Amino acid sequence: MGRLVLRRLGATVPVLLLVTAGVFLLLHLTPGDPIDVMMAESVDATVKENLRHELGLDRPLHVQYAAWMGRLLRGDLGRSIRNGEPVIENVSRRLRPSLELALCAMAISLVIAFPLGIASAMRRNTTIDRAGATFALCGICMPNFLLALLLIFLFGVTLRWLPISGYTDPLEEPWNGLRSLALPAVTLGLALAAVVTRTLRSSLLEALAEDYVRTARAKGLSEWQVIWSHVLKNALIPVVTVLGLQLGTLIGGAVITEYVFALPGVGRLVVDAVFARDYPLVQGVVLLIAVGFILSNLIVDVLYGWIDPRIRSR
Amino acid sequence: MAGSIPGSDLAERAAGLSRPAPEPLRARRWKVLRRAARARLAPFGGAVMLLAMLAALAAPVLAPYDPLAQNLGNTLARPGRAHLLGTDNVGRDVLSRVIWGTRVSLVAGLVSVALAVVAGTLLGILAGYFGGRVDGFVMRLMDAVLSFPPLVLALALGAVLGAGLTGVLLALGVVYTPTFARLMRGQVLSIEARDYVDAARALGASGWRVAWRHVVPNAINPIIVQASLSVAFAILAEASLSFLGLGIQPPQASWGSMINAGRGYLQQAPWIVFGPGGALFVTVVGLNFVGDAVRDALDPRVRG
Repeated sequence: MGRLVLRRLGATVPVLLLVTAGVFLLLHLTPGDPIDVMMAESVDATVKENLRHELGLDRPLHVQYAAWMGRLLRGDLGRSIRNGEPVIENVSRRLRPSLELALCAMAISLVIAFPLGIASAMRRNTTIDRAGATFALCGICMPNFLLALLLIFLFGVTLRWLPISGYTDPLEEPWNGLRSLALPAVTLGLALAAVVTRTLRSSLLEALAEDYVRTARAKGLSEWQVIWSHVLKNALIPVVTVLGLQLGTLIGGAVITEYVFALPGVGRLVVDAVFARDYPLVQGVVLLIAVGFILSNLIVDVLYGWIDPRIRSR
Repeated sequence: MAGSIPGSDLAERAAGLSRPAPEPLRARRWKVLRRAARARLAPFGGAVMLLAMLAALAAPVLAPYDPLAQNLGNTLARPGRAHLLGTDNVGRDVLSRVIWGTRVSLVAGLVSVALAVVAGTLLGILAGYFGGRVDGFVMRLMDAVLSFPPLVLALALGAVLGAGLTGVLLALGVVYTPTFARLMRGQVLSIEARDYVDAARALGASGWRVAWRHVVPNAINPIIVQASLSVAFAILAEASLSFLGLGIQPPQASWGSMINAGRGYLQQAPWIVFGPGGALFVTVVGLNFVGDAVRDALDPRVRG
């Protein structure tokens, strides 16, 4: 198990290097002068020169990269141009709403997907199976922002049950906090539930066709016992794979969801930074998101080893 | 050609995990049933695709009004005989704008996937053919691209390339390239090991001739399958970016930007959002059916 973790970590290093290089070059891909893009024409030329110097844009590229990497390794991601605060502080302030949103969405998706996936596989070709398939198709094809607006229209505008934007921390005010997270979490959770339902159903069907299932049935176990103690764990591996692959989509979905519901999370920060042309902030946040994404994929890889002992030895 | 097809990254990851056990009869029958169900849906997908193409090509003829013409005397009008999908906050006809928006969506979906297919295929051939260091570098590069969440990467690239359709097309092209590069590399590696390639070599064919005449034609099917499945998601991605404000700029109509603009009027005029929203959803569902049908037709693994 330890060796598996080490091997995965080793494979991650070159990718991380390329990712940092890519994020560094981001600023230099800008057509024209990044300083002119970041600041209005009217801004004083000396102010622009100062910013250029501060960002090191007047030095050769490799020197800039070395300096940037050096600061990066010391945990310095630069400062936002807009509010002058370090990127790290900007992000850490926004982390909590994003994590809460992700956790709630994950919980909602599992609560929907597991019963629906299991029921679809056990009652194949019945109404419930077809309903599950339709739900999965709609969830996969429905753009996040459209679902968000649909929910806002139903529960916020028409029924007026839930707040349609803003954020209250559930750790401080549990009831209002959960209410403020409800619609965003359902938006994000439904999309994920769709994918998980589909995967779980097909992997359960595959596992149900195995010999050990026949054996388990032959020794008189009830269908529930067969599913619970024999099939489910084996069917879980593709689900973990898909959850890992969906992570990127989930983060993208979170960006849009936070934007629609005005949740002050990391995703909202990316969008704001992009439109404020706050390039150091864009660089920093995108890098942090990518690193977070790589690390979560690493965790998914390690989870395989935990679920499936055959992988550990490979 | 009925060999193993290292499919999308999902299949590649799962390949080592699933054993190719002989299928029991029941599962096989289920597959046939499922295909029949899909075949019933494929014509619907085809019809949606044709309709969308027609709308995109004939937008100037089909649109009942000028999509940019404002009429401040008739804002937020309910859907009715004069305006089938109502009017927006400055009195523009929503249906006309939806029809013109079809152009943007289809162009975005097709062009960005085409860019990714070309770039990915070339990179995949490069990696699979030269192997060694070239392979290592190209594939690590693809891994690096894949280690950004797609939307975040597209946002960052779009921001740097500037708002506008070109920026979004390029950004989405980059995002989808690794899928095709991985797919093509796997294909090249498996086809290179076949006897007929050895035979062609023994006859004195050059490396490029082998690549062009033998490897590419045999590797193309999974690329087509993946491309047809990707178009729907590229359309979704373009709509998301337009929704966030990248992509084609107002007053030009695109579904995503229309939905974003209408979001402040959900209470008084929900049709501004749900007109283009419905068009987007139906198009994506339809293209998904088409993609599934293409896969069923071309992928021997699914054909069973």
